[in-house]
Amino acid sequence: MIICQGLGKDFKHYQKTAGFVGSLKSFFHRSYERRAAVHNFDLEIQHGEMVGLLGPNGAGKTTLMKMFSGIIVPSHGKLQVLGHVPFEREHAFRKKIALVMGQKSQLWWDIPAMDSFLLLQKYYEIDNRDFKKRLGELSALLGVERQLQVHVRKLSLGERMKMELMACLLHRPDILFLDEPTIGLDVVAQRNIRDFIAQYQAQYKTTVILTSHYMADVEALCQRIVLVLGGTKRFDGPIREFSNILGREKFVSVTFSESITDPTSFWATFDPQWNESRTRVDLRVPEAELRSSAVAILQRFPVAEFTMEKLPIERVMNALLANPQLLKGAE
Amino acid sequence: MLREIRHYAGVYLRFMSTCFAAASTYRLHFVLLIIMDQLFYLSMLGSVDFLYNNVPKIGDWGRDQFMFFVAFSLAIDHLHMSFISESFWEFSYDIRTGKLDFILLRPLNTLFSVFARQIRPATLVNFVTPWGVLIYFGLRLGLDGWAWVAVFPLVILGLLLLTSIEILLSMLMFWTVESMGINFLRIQLQTISRWPDFIYQGFAKRFFTLVMPVLLIGSAPVYFLLDHSRWAGLFAMGGALLMSWLLIAFFWRLGLKAYESASS
Repeated sequence: MIICQGLGKDFKHYQKTAGFVGSLKSFFHRSYERRAAVHNFDLEIQHGEMVGLLGPNGAGKTTLMKMFSGIIVPSHGKLQVLGHVPFEREHAFRKKIALVMGQKSQLWWDIPAMDSFLLLQKYYEIDNRDFKKRLGELSALLGVERQLQVHVRKLSLGERMKMELMACLLHRPDILFLDEPTIGLDVVAQRNIRDFIAQYQAQYKTTVILTSHYMADVEALCQRIVLVLGGTKRFDGPIREFSNILGREKFVSVTFSESITDPTSFWATFDPQWNESRTRVDLRVPEAELRSSAVAILQRFPVAEFTMEKLPIERVMNALLANPQLLKGAE
Repeated sequence: MLREIRHYAGVYLRFMSTCFAAASTYRLHFVLLIIMDQLFYLSMLGSVDFLYNNVPKIGDWGRDQFMFFVAFSLAIDHLHMSFISESFWEFSYDIRTGKLDFILLRPLNTLFSVFARQIRPATLVNFVTPWGVLIYFGLRLGLDGWAWVAVFPLVILGLLLLTSIEILLSMLMFWTVESMGINFLRIQLQTISRWPDFIYQGFAKRFFTLVMPVLLIGSAPVYFLLDHSRWAGLFAMGGALLMSWLLIAFFWRLGLKAYESASS
C-alpha cells in the first residue's frame, strides 16, 4: 500500500534578525539554510492497517502525510502509494486517497456543506444512487442529517469536523490520511469522531494513517505506532510494545487521605507526578519491583486509594520526549 | 475524450452553482458588486466621451471607433471579472495558507481546478452595459455581417490571451508566496490593455506588443473588425497564445514541484 525508502524532505528558509535594521539587511542579503523536515525515512504500510504517526510539533508528521498524498514533492528517496508515485498526481491515484486536516477546511465556508458535497460528487464522478446512499449512511453515522443544509461558517467545530470527514469519505478512498482530526474538539466530540473512524474502518477496511496530539486517539484507533522525532523514525511497531520501550513498567496511581510532605527520596526512582495539594501521585513502577513497592507505600503512607494499570501511552511519550536517549534501545 | 469533456463540464456547472450559492448568501454585497461594476464601466466610457467633447480625433479615430474599442475592451473585462478574476486572488490566498493542498488532491487538471472554480455571478448580470454600447457603436460604424459574426469569438480570443498572460505571471506566486505585487501588476497590465496601441510609443509599445503582448488583446481584434485587411494582429495573438501555453505547461510543473504548502 505505502512503501517508502530513504524518504526525505528539505525546506529552505532564511534567518532574519528582528527590527528595522534586520529587515533592511535581509532585504538585500539573505542567508538561507536548509532544514531536513524528514530524513531517511523507511516505512511500509499494508492494506487495512491503522497506523498512528506520533511525535511532537515539527517532528515531520504532516510533511510525511503531504508527501504520501502527493501534495509536496520529496527531496530524496523512493515513495510508492497504491502502486503510484504520489507527486506525479495521476487522477487515478487522487481518486483513491483522501486527506483530512484538523486545522484546514476543504469545505466552502459561505455555503451549506451539502453544496460542497454536490461539488465533490462531480469531482469524483460518483453516480447519483451511490452518492445518496453514502451521504445517507455517513450523515446518519455521524448524526449530522440536520446540519447538512446549514452554512459551514455557522457549524460548531465538532460538526464541521464531521462534515470534513464526510467530504473525504464520499468517494470511498482506499487510504485515508487523518492529520489531527480531533484537534480543538471537546472530549465528547473527540470520542464521537474516534468512534466513527473505528466503525468506518471496521466496515470498509480502509487503510488509515493518523496523526494526533491526543494519545487517546491513537490508543483507541491504532494497532501500530510510528514515532517520528526530528524527521526520523524512532519507533515502529505494535502499540502494545510501545510502552515497553521504557522497560516493563506499570502505571500506579495512589491517593492519600492527607497531604504528603515526605522529603525522602523514596519516590524519586518512580518518576513521580504529584498533584498540587500532594494528595495524589502517579508513578511508573518496574514490574519486578511492583510487589515490594506496593507494600512499602501501603505501610509507610496513609493510602486512601491504590490503582494500577498498564503505562498510558501519553506518559511514555512524555518520558521519551524528555529523554530521547531512552529510544536507543528501541531502534 | 467525450467522457472527460462531460466530467469537466459537470464540474464547471457545479462551480457555477456553488458560486451562486455563496454569492447569494450576502445580498447587499451582491448588489454592491453590480453597482461597482456599473460605475467602472460608466467611468471608462464617460472619460472617453469627455475627451471627444473637447477634441475631434485621437490618433486616426473619431468618437465612434474609440467608443467601440472601449466597449470591446469592457466586454473582455466583463467576462474576465465574471469567470476568472476572482480565482487569481483566491490562488494567492490558497498558496499562502496552504489551502491549495485540497485542490491538488482533486482528480482533475490542477490548472482547471485553480483558475476555473471562482465565478462572480453579480458581475455576470452586468453584460448589458458593455455589450449594449458595443452593439450601438458597431451599428453606428456600419460593421458588416462578418464583423458581427466575428465579434464574440474575438472577445473570447482577447479574454484567452489576457488570462494566459495573467496565469503565467501568477505562477511566480509559487516562489514569491506573497502575491499582492503580482496581483497589482496584473491589474496594471489590464489597464494598459484597455487602451488602443497607438496611445503608446517607442519602447513601451514594442515591449507591450512583443514581450508582454497585452496591447494585442483589444487592438488586434478591433483593427480587424474595423478593417478586415488588418488580420496580421490576430495571427500574432495566436502565436502569443501558443507561446503562453507552452510556458504555462512548463512553469506550472516547476511551480507545483516548488510548492511547499504551509504548516498546519
